[in-house]
Amino acid sequence: MDRTVFCKGGIIVEEQKAQRSGFSVKLVASAIIPIVILGAMVTFLLSPGNLLLNIGVPLPDVTIERVEFLDNRIVAHIRNTGPQSIEVTQADVNDRILPAAIEPSRFLQRFEEARVVIPFEWNEAQPYEIGVTTSDGTRFAKSISAASPTPQPDAGQVSVFALIGTYVGIIPVLIGLLWLPFIRRLSQAKYVFFLSLTAGLLIFLGIDALVEANEIAIENVSGAFRGQLLIAMAAIVSFLVLIYTSEKLVNRAGVRSALQRPFAIAMMVAIGIGLHNLGEGLAIGGAMVLGEVALSTFLIVGFALHNTTEGLAIVAPIARQKPRIMRLIALGIIAGAPAIIGTWIGGFVSSPLASIVFLSIGAGAVFQVVYAIAKFTDHSPKSTFLSGPGVAGIAVGMLVMYLTSLLI
Amino acid sequence: MFSPRLLIISAIAVALVSSALGVSSLYVNAQNNGEEKIVISHGLGYYETTGDVLDPTSSDGTASTGIDPMTYLRSFNYGRTSTLENGVVVREFTLIADDRQTMEVSPGIFYNVWSFNGTVPAPTLRATEGDLIKINFINNGTRPHTIHTHGIHKAEMDGVFEIINPGGGFQYEFYAEKFGVYPFHCHVMPLEEHISHGLYGAYVVDPKTPRPPADEMVMIMNGYDTDFDTENNFYTVNGIPYYYMHHPIQIEKDRLVRVYLVNMLEFDQINNFHLHGNLYNLYRSGTSLTPNELTDMVTLSQGERAVLEFSYKYTGQYMFHAHKTEFAEKGWTGLFSVREG
Repeated sequence: MDRTVFCKGGIIVEEQKAQRSGFSVKLVASAIIPIVILGAMVTFLLSPGNLLLNIGVPLPDVTIERVEFLDNRIVAHIRNTGPQSIEVTQADVNDRILPAAIEPSRFLQRFEEARVVIPFEWNEAQPYEIGVTTSDGTRFAKSISAASPTPQPDAGQVSVFALIGTYVGIIPVLIGLLWLPFIRRLSQAKYVFFLSLTAGLLIFLGIDALVEANEIAIENVSGAFRGQLLIAMAAIVSFLVLIYTSEKLVNRAGVRSALQRPFAIAMMVAIGIGLHNLGEGLAIGGAMVLGEVALSTFLIVGFALHNTTEGLAIVAPIARQKPRIMRLIALGIIAGAPAIIGTWIGGFVSSPLASIVFLSIGAGAVFQVVYAIAKFTDHSPKSTFLSGPGVAGIAVGMLVMYLTSLLI
Repeated sequence: MFSPRLLIISAIAVALVSSALGVSSLYVNAQNNGEEKIVISHGLGYYETTGDVLDPTSSDGTASTGIDPMTYLRSFNYGRTSTLENGVVVREFTLIADDRQTMEVSPGIFYNVWSFNGTVPAPTLRATEGDLIKINFINNGTRPHTIHTHGIHKAEMDGVFEIINPGGGFQYEFYAEKFGVYPFHCHVMPLEEHISHGLYGAYVVDPKTPRPPADEMVMIMNGYDTDFDTENNFYTVNGIPYYYMHHPIQIEKDRLVRVYLVNMLEFDQINNFHLHGNLYNLYRSGTSLTPNELTDMVTLSQGERAVLEFSYKYTGQYMFHAHKTEFAEKGWTGLFSVREG
């Protein structure tokens, strides 16, 4: 009896195995069949001589993504953002035809890029319009509001950008950290006010980053790349991923010691602000390249004032702790140093698409921090985001950001 | 599993990937197609490249509007001649309109031209005062066209109300009454479209007593709006931008040169002709044998024309161009190369 039962059991197990392997073949097949049919349809539609969908005239599109002003030379980085391959046949400055070179080739496949080099004695601070014409006679142009020598990545320029990044990123954040003793002495209600103020600052920064990214998407990125959808995608994904990872992080810290939780939040604030400052650096570097900014001391002072408030945002969550000085400085550098990297990337290799991605990730990160602070205050007794001091804090935080941003 | 370290590492990874995205555009010119070429600017600079050279100012490549501008310059079509019983000379011409051709109007730039006899501008017709001119017109295009000649003629020969449909024809007939230089063009609405695409040319009526012998040439000033924004992308004389820059017109020192100049430019209609190192006698519309002016500048609106007479005192290369620098720098520039006679 026992044996039969065992045998039956054995048979059942084997049947299940057989079922499972048969099932997996079916599973794979059922996943592949739609793809095969889709492939067949696409092949049919694209097959030569198929006139079924031969409707309308595909128009060429060229995006001039970047213009550099070098010694007696203007270089335009162009990309074929139209549906078909194109031939570039002419270049101009201010709509005047000029001899030029195009590298690597005047024939551009879809999404391929090229450098158009025009030997030209340009004048600093003067506006220029750089144009290229394709073989069907369509001209595409980009206006530069003021020509200025494009920074080259040599030691001198690298250190100039590093210096700017230090002034607008690291130093202001570190100054902001000095508010720690002040916040530590506040009553609970006032503490909630300042914590919410931090949230207000961050909400403003997040929106600022999205607006900035949107501007770049509209002005410098071809519609073919769906810049605005890229912004939404990058922001939402970075928001979700950071929430997920930081929940894990905070939970772990919570288990280990209740004291580490606020530090974990401060760390997240610092990383979020760091991403934001990377975007800010990109904007500064990029603007210098485009000649849109005469980087005056006033501008640097404006950015510095604006960013000092970011230091406040970092210390607010850890105000009740006694963090080690080195840890504080580390937080300040995590938040501030990306500004330097941002100016380098923005100044030397600025790709509008990369800028959009950076800014959107920064926005997502900043909103995630706001979310984390909201949860943090919820846990504290007798205080929430939506209390009087909380709402006032958010409002004042945004107002402060708005007013300091007017200085830039 | 999750630690602050992980968070930082993922942030750095994202930063690296995005930076790579940004940096990738730096290395566009890593590949090349071999030999080095030189681009010489109009200023001081030059640039060596392994890529392609874009320079319509130094070569026209395979660009053509159906004519060799050098041959066209000195070509005059006197028609098939016969004499009526009363002694009147009849000159018969044939002009065929078409609007289906795509031509390379500037190196690498293709444009749908509408033309008479397949060329832009049309062949220059020539007669003498008192001749009877007959133009057999055939519309071989896909749209209605006509020929409207400037000058004295009957209303029904004006090419305005008698629209000739595709496949149709018409014989225009008029006496060459007053000597001078006249434009002709299609007069179907929208006029702007028919003229800007290239349906124009010139005819010359000589006085009964011919003008003094000279090196005679015709210059039709025109333009092309290849992107249809009602602004010309190119300006030319006789069809190809910059043609006479890389093919200078050879003339002889001290020999009289006579230019029949017609402005058929659409959109930016004020055009002009400036001659370097010289002055010319200007005969507006060519309807008088007494010059209006001795000058180096004449400004003509669309449809206006003039006869210019000059001879060079010194050998060398002399520029002529529109003294509207925009036109000059978009193709309306040429050279006279003056040699010992």
